[in-house]
Amino acid sequence: MTPLLQLHNIRKDYGGLRAVDDVSLAAPENAIIGLIGPNGSGKSTLIDLIAGAAEQTAGRVIFAGEDISDLSADAIFKKGIARGYQEPSLYFKMTVLDNVLLPVKDQRGERPWYAPWRRYWAHEEAGHAEAAVTVLEQVQLLQHYDTLASDLSGGQMKLLEIARCLMGKPKLLLLDEPTAGVAPKLAYEIFQQIARLRDDYGITFLIVEHRLEILFDFADYVYVMHLGNLLAEGTVAEIANDATVREVYFGD
Amino acid sequence: MINIDIGATAVAVLTLFGIYALMAISLNLEYGVAGVPNFGKALFVSIGAYTAGVTYTRLLPLLAGLESIHPCGPSMGAALQLRSEIMATQPAAGFINLALTFALAAAIAGAVGFAVSYVTLRLKEEWFLALVLLVGGETVRILVRGADDLICSNNGISGVAQPFYFLRDPGASSFLFMLLALALALAAYLYSERLVRSPFGRMLKGLRENEDVTRGLGKGISLARAQIMAVGSLIAAIGGVLFALNTGFVNTNDFVVNLTLDVWVMVVLGGIGNNRGALLGALLIAIMDRLAQIGAIILNMGGSEIEFNYVRFIAFGLILLWMLRYRPGGLLPESRLTTEAHEVVKRVIGAAK
Ligand SMILES: Nc1ncnc2c1ncn2[C@@H]1O[C@H](COP(=O)(O)OP(=O)(O)OP(=O)(O)O)[C@@H](O)[C@H]1O
Ligand SMILES: [Mg+2]
Repeated sequence: MTPLLQLHNIRKDYGGLRAVDDVSLAAPENAIIGLIGPNGSGKSTLIDLIAGAAEQTAGRVIFAGEDISDLSADAIFKKGIARGYQEPSLYFKMTVLDNVLLPVKDQRGERPWYAPWRRYWAHEEAGHAEAAVTVLEQVQLLQHYDTLASDLSGGQMKLLEIARCLMGKPKLLLLDEPTAGVAPKLAYEIFQQIARLRDDYGITFLIVEHRLEILFDFADYVYVMHLGNLLAEGTVAEIANDATVREVYFGD
Repeated sequence: MINIDIGATAVAVLTLFGIYALMAISLNLEYGVAGVPNFGKALFVSIGAYTAGVTYTRLLPLLAGLESIHPCGPSMGAALQLRSEIMATQPAAGFINLALTFALAAAIAGAVGFAVSYVTLRLKEEWFLALVLLVGGETVRILVRGADDLICSNNGISGVAQPFYFLRDPGASSFLFMLLALALALAAYLYSERLVRSPFGRMLKGLRENEDVTRGLGKGISLARAQIMAVGSLIAAIGGVLFALNTGFVNTNDFVVNLTLDVWVMVVLGGIGNNRGALLGALLIAIMDRLAQIGAIILNMGGSEIEFNYVRFIAFGLILLWMLRYRPGGLLPESRLTTEAHEVVKRVIGAAK
């Protein structure tokens, strides 16, 4: 079976700095793929490149058999790749509900000629609201649907970001430190949630994570980056025992 | 002593309010809701006025079944007399001409607003668009002023009578014209409110708050911004048609950058992102305008040398700074956006309990 996502020799130069250096990787369907590496090793840049938020200097991105290297970020989302951000990036001045309704694809009410006339989209919008109920329930945010995103706790914000992605019905979800700044117990729960989404919906996750102790409990496969290069790859057991990885990561 | 006719003053202020409201609502949609800093408001208003200048001189006589007379140069007087006569005696021609003027002005301004912003926003960010519109507005003004035949360069077009002129009763016709301006402002307000409370409005607010995230969530943001610029520009142009009819005159001097600044003051004062705030801002500025005129008359009668326009200009600048510093949300801050989705969810939760 061909992988859902394939990167072929992806490179990104920022001026003289090579943030990502000819990285190739593959992610199968229905899997949690870990992407780890020390600070500044190029993980977030790689996420940006896949999501179309930055343009690669060289290399190709293949998603579901299609070359998406030169598509814009909005087109890539529509193809089925959603992303979270390392920095909290919600619509803080909007309600939780509006945050998750905005990314729904192909909304009739988003077209200016339909927008003022509710009868063209009210029914559709109600359907989206019901879908939002399901998604918000999954991340335990339903009772906060009318809260401004800025009033949520750090952990809730991370969950809302995942919920927001889910409303776009992605096949691949890119998450950049989904547990940053979250208490250990909740961090574990977030990963349990992710595993459930993988199992229930067959979504593939590519997750940048610093908390290896949690990631290693859930990841199906792990890639390790160092100074823009791919240092190692393998199953959790292989990576945990890899001597070079231990050296760059734990300094031993 | 000066006598102020309260009734006539009220009609004048409310007419001006209607016209300003159209401009303020259009800027509120663009900047307040979508975050596109349109510094070319005067350009889109002027498109409406110039269109009126052209239709009143070229189209109106045809609609009245007469031959048009070239409005500039030696035949200027004859052309003016012709259109005044038509407006005084053939109301049907006047109304049809006005309807076509609205349609034409809206179409031109909407197309220009869409095209300029779509092209510009794909190349650069929104502040570049602001600059393009600011410079573009002034460039168009100078070009129109330089064109001898369009609206007769520096002379402009006078006798752009409002459609109720045929009544030959200034009180009644200004009153009806006021109603027309208020009705159009109300329509624009209701339309914008619906727009803001739709998924389209939600997307616009989203891209105002975070452009990159919104693009990452699958929205074509250059297109969305160009669309709201088209809507805003056509509303502004309708305001521009009324503006010309209200003064009875189309002249490029009315569309300098000051006009853009005035509209910005209305929106910042009233409440950025709030359509009702835009109305309030428009009303306050319309009242201030009138007071300023009265103030200028009193000052001049007192023999003062102070040019009141400058006082007004400085006062507006100070209002802008003061508001941005102490009340950035405006007098009526933006209300929280909701479509009916919130009620749907409330019902679902209620049913589950
Ligand atoms: N927009 C940019 N312009 C210039 N340099 C950049 C840019 N973005 C990232 N870099 C550089 O690229 C390198 C990789 O950064 P990146 O953010 O991808 O690392 P990371 O692995 O995500 O690190 P962290 O774990 O700290 O989040 C760093 O040296 C960073 O300074
Ligand atoms: Mg990072």
